[in-house]
Amino acid sequence: MIAQTSPAAPPTIRPPSPVAVRRRRKPSLSRTLSRVLIMLIVIVQVYPLAWLFLTSLRTEQDFASGDPFALPSSLTWENYARAFETGDLGRNILNSFIVTMGANILIVLFGMMAAYALQVLGFRHSRIIRGLFMVGIIVPVQIALVPLFIDYSAVNLLDTYQSMIIPLAGFSLPMSIYLFSSFFEYIPRETYEAASLDGAGPYRIFGLITLPLSVNTVVTVVLVNSIFIWNDFIFANTFVLSEDLKTIPLGLQNYIGAMGKVDWTATFAAVCVTITPLLLVFLVLNKAMIQGLESGANKG
Amino acid sequence: MLPNRSRTSVLVFLLPPLLLYCAAVLFPILQSLFLSFFSWNGISDMEFVGLDNYVRMFVADDIFWRAFLNALVYLAICLVLQLGGALVVASLLTSLRRGRELIKTLYLLPAVISTVAIAFLFVRIYSIDPVGLLNQLLHWIGLGSLERPWLSDVNTVLAAVSAPEGWRFTGLYMLIIYAALIAVPKELEEAAVLDGASKWTLFTKIRFPYIRPVWITTTIMATTYGLRGFDIPYLMTNGGPGQSSELLTTYMYKTAFTSTDFGYASTISVFIVIECLVAVGLILFLLKRKAD
Amino acid sequence: MKKLFRAAAVAAATALALTACGGGGSSADPANVAPTGEIKPREISWLLSRPADGAVINIMKKLADDYAKDHPGFELNLITTPDRPSYIQKLETLAAANKLPELFDTDATPFAQQLAGQGKMVDAEKLLKSLDLYDSYRPGALDYQRFDDGSLFMIPFQFELEFIWYNKALLQKAGVSVPTSLDDIPAMCTALRSAGITPIAIDGQDQWPLERYVAYQPFREAGPDFVQQLKKGDAAFADAAGQKTVNWMADLGKADCFQEGFSAQGYSDAQNLFTNGEAAMYNIGTWELPSLATDKLNPAVRDDIDFFTLPTTSGSATAANEFVSPSGIGMAVNTKTYDPLVSDFLKFALQKYPAEYAATGALSPTTDVETAVPANATPLYKKALEQANNLGAKQAMPWDTQLDPTTNGRLQQELVLLVQGDITPAQFTETMDKAIGQNAPKFFK
Repeated sequence: MIAQTSPAAPPTIRPPSPVAVRRRRKPSLSRTLSRVLIMLIVIVQVYPLAWLFLTSLRTEQDFASGDPFALPSSLTWENYARAFETGDLGRNILNSFIVTMGANILIVLFGMMAAYALQVLGFRHSRIIRGLFMVGIIVPVQIALVPLFIDYSAVNLLDTYQSMIIPLAGFSLPMSIYLFSSFFEYIPRETYEAASLDGAGPYRIFGLITLPLSVNTVVTVVLVNSIFIWNDFIFANTFVLSEDLKTIPLGLQNYIGAMGKVDWTATFAAVCVTITPLLLVFLVLNKAMIQGLESGANKG
Repeated sequence: MLPNRSRTSVLVFLLPPLLLYCAAVLFPILQSLFLSFFSWNGISDMEFVGLDNYVRMFVADDIFWRAFLNALVYLAICLVLQLGGALVVASLLTSLRRGRELIKTLYLLPAVISTVAIAFLFVRIYSIDPVGLLNQLLHWIGLGSLERPWLSDVNTVLAAVSAPEGWRFTGLYMLIIYAALIAVPKELEEAAVLDGASKWTLFTKIRFPYIRPVWITTTIMATTYGLRGFDIPYLMTNGGPGQSSELLTTYMYKTAFTSTDFGYASTISVFIVIECLVAVGLILFLLKRKAD
Repeated sequence: MKKLFRAAAVAAATALALTACGGGGSSADPANVAPTGEIKPREISWLLSRPADGAVINIMKKLADDYAKDHPGFELNLITTPDRPSYIQKLETLAAANKLPELFDTDATPFAQQLAGQGKMVDAEKLLKSLDLYDSYRPGALDYQRFDDGSLFMIPFQFELEFIWYNKALLQKAGVSVPTSLDDIPAMCTALRSAGITPIAIDGQDQWPLERYVAYQPFREAGPDFVQQLKKGDAAFADAAGQKTVNWMADLGKADCFQEGFSAQGYSDAQNLFTNGEAAMYNIGTWELPSLATDKLNPAVRDDIDFFTLPTTSGSATAANEFVSPSGIGMAVNTKTYDPLVSDFLKFALQKYPAEYAATGALSPTTDVETAVPANATPLYKKALEQANNLGAKQAMPWDTQLDPTTNGRLQQELVLLVQGDITPAQFTETMDKAIGQNAPKFFK
């Protein structure tokens, strides 16, 4: 890893190379500078999460009267108690989980299949189909709301998990196909040809070669999409009615009181609770995801 | 093309995704196209109006054009922040020897926070009464004259609502670009350095051409998410003050669900679809041509 | 490929056309408020936009449980979307798909009037009369729910009064007294500002609070009819009453009445400014009594807080005891699903509701119960409740439920610009009168 990381580093910071010797005076300055810059940027990136967490521990009085950016005067878990009391957070998390999983399975499986058909199998006019899918990469989801609502009510799909999963998966499919296609492009043709000569058909090749090779890309696609799906508000709000099916973003509305007054500290406590599962998955799979992106990028 | 493929196998792999895609995406788009020729509020009888909605959009609707221009500015700011920011940070990161993994992870954090919380946080950061973080910082570094209510000032609001969206996903694009950067063969770079190439030449002549394909992917991703931008401006300012931060997406949403003008909202949708197609076509054309 | 497209287009057309036809007439009669037949318990739904843990929902849940004891199989499914814009979107999509539930919330908007016009809502006046409850309701609470033609299709569950709350200490510090006329307010703001005090805290993000202000001058100058004519294009902002409010709003802006950057500040930001003792005035209704008139209020300002009602103007067409007194979003009853069960449940619930509601310390929309003052209340609580006993016959309607939605959206946006000084009163007048001219005919044919 260390050997691998050095090549891209600016030559100025590689001690043994003659280049570095030539420019010995500069490095410390530019290095410190970039260190400081990186630290600053990291603060900017991490700060909101820290702020969110600290605010969720503030008392309501403190939140209302204090400087919102100062450290809380005292810490309390009361907001968390209120968050669980007012909302059904467990159920919301479960629903978000089901929707996220359901959509991800469709996105990954169908994305891989379509990319396989387009990129590996190939057929006449595949460019047209590819173009058709490209349309979906770029269309804003809001335009589908009214037609989808009418269609769903016609086939009795309103207020079901499917009514959220289908459009979420449909709109994410193109990007997934795109990512898988660019990955498949770099699996050497010889691999397939060798397998074909051994008598493997398209299904076996898919199962034995393409699928196992794509693990990192799968993780990438899943994580990128989960970020969007976990926090999706617009489809859930449009298609879900019953309390039992409410996902997290809808659940957060339970903290809205009369005339739009929001119980912010409880909301933030709920936000902290609800992003935890996503955050954990993220931290655990982070490495695989980065590798997935890197392997795609390396070859791309 | 795989030698042993058959017509059936292509269909087996292609049909399920295509069906899902048609049901969830293409069909509603066609319905929108259809609706755009009607006047309909959801509960009235649908009335065919021909091209009236299109005429209204192009000729008589001042908000539409305002929203269109705003959307372009919003996109530009997001792209600069996301792609430029990603490139800078990725380059900086390649110069680090330790702690890269940690920083990469930390960098992705904002993407997981829900937009409700982000919008709320940034409203506070931009606030002036009580003084928010941004104005406080400006005051400290002696730029007190720049203090202003960022979200109420018609000149700054658009940039102010674009920034959080840009900032949120910088980490994602940074990762992709970083991955491409560290894959640039070191022999190429060393050779260039020995030839006396400056850092800038090194970047423009060696690194950037090498990562161009990744750059295209990232640009397309960022552009499409930028054109889809909705939550943050909607939650932070609801398009205001006036129409200063109204985007095509928020305007379309309001036309459909506040004004219950589903026909006209569909007309705007059709325009957004075409706009997005043109944008992506343009990107591919420009970047590919440069590469050739 | 072409074939596929053509097929899809035809299918799209059919799907929409089918639903559009389905959206037409309804066989049930809105005036038939006492359906006959057997009461068959089942699950019914109420689509509502009220706080998830609020009094209305808690009480109705309890009443539904009580009712279910005698009617096994009955269940009331409460589907709440507290965020109003999200709720309206939901209501509209459901209406478009012809899937409205048994009960649903709506204000007396032009959209609701169209629904009523299509016979989709039960006549609430007849319904309440048949239940023998009509006379127990406060006339003002019912009037708030009425459409322009005087018809009543929604049942109120609340009754609120809107006051201007103020901080005595801050007014004193600036050497100003409670305004006797609306026209005094700009000068008052200037005085407060020069004493370093934010004059008025306002929630700009939700937009309705600023829209209240634009309604005040015309209500005093020309009475409640002005907005009813304005929305149809029969009156204009260019008229005398209109110009008065436009210029007044611009004056409020010039005098820096509202906190800087108010347009992006939310509900709690504004309230905090007032309860922290930073802002001198705050315009809000009795639904905030629990935070403004109990020991929950910041002790530092608790003894300094008082309220006054909407000031009059010289030659005012309306009296001092007439101001904004909304009865909240109302509940409509769906004609299509109205049957002996719904009727029987409503009879049961509406009879018991007022007593339960008043016990929570809120004002009931009826006059037959006394509101309980909570134990932790300050004297202000009682004073606020007493205002309800002495109301005039007219009330100021919030404009956001009156204007057509497109004009309303435009008005909310332009008002911010006007108050911030980004546009002149003349520009504002021109834009708004044009917007009304374009949009009103579509909604008020």
